[in-house]
Amino acid sequence: MSAMDPTEVFRQEASELFEVLEGALLDLGQRPDDRELVDSAFRALHTIKGSGAMFGFDKVASFTHEFETAFDRVRKGEIKPTQELISVALAAKDYIRALIEDPQSTDDIIGDGILDDLKRFVSSDQPAAPVAEIAEAPPLAPVESKQAGWHLYLEFESHILRNGSNPLDLLEDLCKLGPCFVVPVTDGIPFLDEMEPEDCYLKWDVKLHAACDKDAIDDVFMFVSDEMKLTLSPLEHVEAPAPMPLFLLLDEEPVAEMPAPLVEAAAPPAAAAPVAKAEPKSEAKSEPKAEGKRDDRGIATVRVQAERLDELMDRVGELVIAQARLTQLAASGSDLSIKMIAEEIERLASSLRDTTMGARMVPIGSLFGRFRRLIHDLSRDLSKPVEFVTTGEDTELDKTMIECLADPLVHLIRNAIDHGIEDTATRSANGKTEQGRIELAAVHSGAQVLVTVKDNGGGLNTARIRAKAEEQGLIAAGAVLSDHEIHQFLFHPGFSTAQTISALSGRGVGMDVVKRTIENMRGSIDLSTRPGQGTTVTLRLPLTLAIIEGLLIRVGEGRYIIPLSAVEECIELTAEDERSRGRNFLNVRGNLVPFLRLREIMSSSGSPDRHQKTIIISTGETHVGLVADQIVGNHQTVIKSLSKLHSDVTIFSGATILGDGTAALILDVAQLVALAQSKVEKHISEAA
Amino acid sequence: MNQGQADHQADAMQVVMIGLGEEKFALDAGLVREIIDPVPVTKVAGARAFVPSVINVRGNVIPLADLRIRFGMPQPDDSADTRIVVIEIELDNEPVLVGVTADKVYEVTEISQTDVQQTPRVGMHWKPEFIRFIAKWREEFVIVPNMERILN
Repeated sequence: MSAMDPTEVFRQEASELFEVLEGALLDLGQRPDDRELVDSAFRALHTIKGSGAMFGFDKVASFTHEFETAFDRVRKGEIKPTQELISVALAAKDYIRALIEDPQSTDDIIGDGILDDLKRFVSSDQPAAPVAEIAEAPPLAPVESKQAGWHLYLEFESHILRNGSNPLDLLEDLCKLGPCFVVPVTDGIPFLDEMEPEDCYLKWDVKLHAACDKDAIDDVFMFVSDEMKLTLSPLEHVEAPAPMPLFLLLDEEPVAEMPAPLVEAAAPPAAAAPVAKAEPKSEAKSEPKAEGKRDDRGIATVRVQAERLDELMDRVGELVIAQARLTQLAASGSDLSIKMIAEEIERLASSLRDTTMGARMVPIGSLFGRFRRLIHDLSRDLSKPVEFVTTGEDTELDKTMIECLADPLVHLIRNAIDHGIEDTATRSANGKTEQGRIELAAVHSGAQVLVTVKDNGGGLNTARIRAKAEEQGLIAAGAVLSDHEIHQFLFHPGFSTAQTISALSGRGVGMDVVKRTIENMRGSIDLSTRPGQGTTVTLRLPLTLAIIEGLLIRVGEGRYIIPLSAVEECIELTAEDERSRGRNFLNVRGNLVPFLRLREIMSSSGSPDRHQKTIIISTGETHVGLVADQIVGNHQTVIKSLSKLHSDVTIFSGATILGDGTAALILDVAQLVALAQSKVEKHISEAA
Repeated sequence: MNQGQADHQADAMQVVMIGLGEEKFALDAGLVREIIDPVPVTKVAGARAFVPSVINVRGNVIPLADLRIRFGMPQPDDSADTRIVVIEIELDNEPVLVGVTADKVYEVTEISQTDVQQTPRVGMHWKPEFIRFIAKWREEFVIVPNMERILN
């Protein structure tokens, strides 16, 4: 594996930080008083700035710095984050993103404009009540604070240069806080023949004449705090008049809480160096030990390329297949010890499978976060105030699925705002709150995850959908259809009931794409609506794309897998049902359930088993029975896709490998039912 | 070396000689991944006749094509000589592994481009587009099939 391009690493890291930043900013719009949010936004900004500078994105660093400076007043509680400020901050975030991802498309003028806006908002007089006095105090006031500066003693680990950190840059940053008196401490420098050219031997003794916050100093060393010793003590008296930075905060922390004042290491001049020549080695050794403990927190997560996880999943899939073969072999023999080993391996393989699948799982919240911005913008553009509520952000889904889900959800949410939520006038006329509400929820349901997009708008106009379907010749006028069936036309390619085509929707492309995407993930989509109350779109998704629980059945000579998530129940076909040819219906506890004979669909040879079994499956609202010769049992199904050569066969969604090494096909339940329906229609029209 | 290879390719072609019915076919050796003994097949209901089933080859489920159907030949049951030749072809710019049933696999050999015969327009009941060219090998005519066309 080749080393990753460091710039690429930065881009990836930055894009995650942007999500954090955006989320925090949007939350801040809802909860302006939440200090946590301000801090997390600030942390994200700071990291972007720091690593941006490290990877040579100077523009990013300088813009972010300005952004940060302007936002600092929010952090200090001097001003409240208003909606306008949030909007500008979001624009600034977008600008930084553009600077990183596509610098050519940006222009300094845009950035300057955003900064001007930002500065205007933060400098305008809207101080928050509790800190009003501070905000209004003349900038020089803090000079009178208890302490006039800091005495710092900086000692870096010897390997710091190798990590790309440059102590001189840090010192420069420090100097920006106020006038500094920097004295290098050279007693750690070894003799020339012992000197490692890449090690840092210098230490620094700094007197900072600025009444800045301790946090400001910590911020400077944020990225190297694990690799250095920083000793801070307040300076007792003013040695030089310090020009003050613009925004200052009164020191809230009592001096007593400061780390113990350092030993009077008043900068020994260079002449002192030779005395200490024997020390550096022992010092270098002891330091890493002392610092070692602090490194633990970095190990909590590991970045792994998605491809590697895919490969791992493939291997585990192979293992599960091999294990199934072993189990089968062991079961047919009489050697007890082999059986025990087979069981042991079965247990290990299944826990390995779960762990591997778990490693691919990501909380869906990362996806939900993206839509808040979408809704924020859409609701502004359409002047439809919308409250956005998400639940179940912790629900975990396979990473690949999360990526596939993004586009369909964008579409559904746009639809919900554009078509679902009525304008404010209509809403108030109908006695609803002016503010619409969109709920995005995710919840586990058995082996499936349900993702719902729910609006409290006007609901679907069934009559209009029907009229449109008739107009497009999709149904005959006057055909008897349930509302549910009529709503399915929304998923028809090119179908749109929007009277005007807006930039957002109405072109009739989309819902069919949504449906196809979801079905490609072996999921399904349901619509339910109540006139005047709103519409709920439910996406049912399998937990993972790679392995499913399946029901293994036998039809004639062939064996097939039905996804267990689709199976409702299994019943025996009565002799009476079996005999009938014209009427393929079952009576399941009073409900009429049509059934399909798989032997006919698979054109099986040989005679059917005496007692035919029916597997009742459900797709959407439809329940259908599938008649098979035998139900073999549960099967851990590692899904292998079918090749292009079989892409015309729709009733199978893939294949798997059984314990004896043969391939078995996985039934695509929705397609089977669709096929059966078209057959019935053909039959009826022929009969007519 | 590249030059040498190009020269080499210009007048000779490495092929795997297989028998289908009474005919001999030469598959470009560059396409062939492996040759395996017959394995249990799984019928795919509703598939096109020339790719009636799938097989498991080292954990991959791949389609099993029957060229005999494409060339209108009878399909006898597997014999002791029957083999499956696994080839890799490009379909829509994607590599696809396909198994091809062969009644017999003769040998890996070279056929010379100078032996290439024009595909006759008459006297053949096979679709000319399925055939890349016909070559002479040991005083016999062998067919070099166009696998991409046959399988598309």
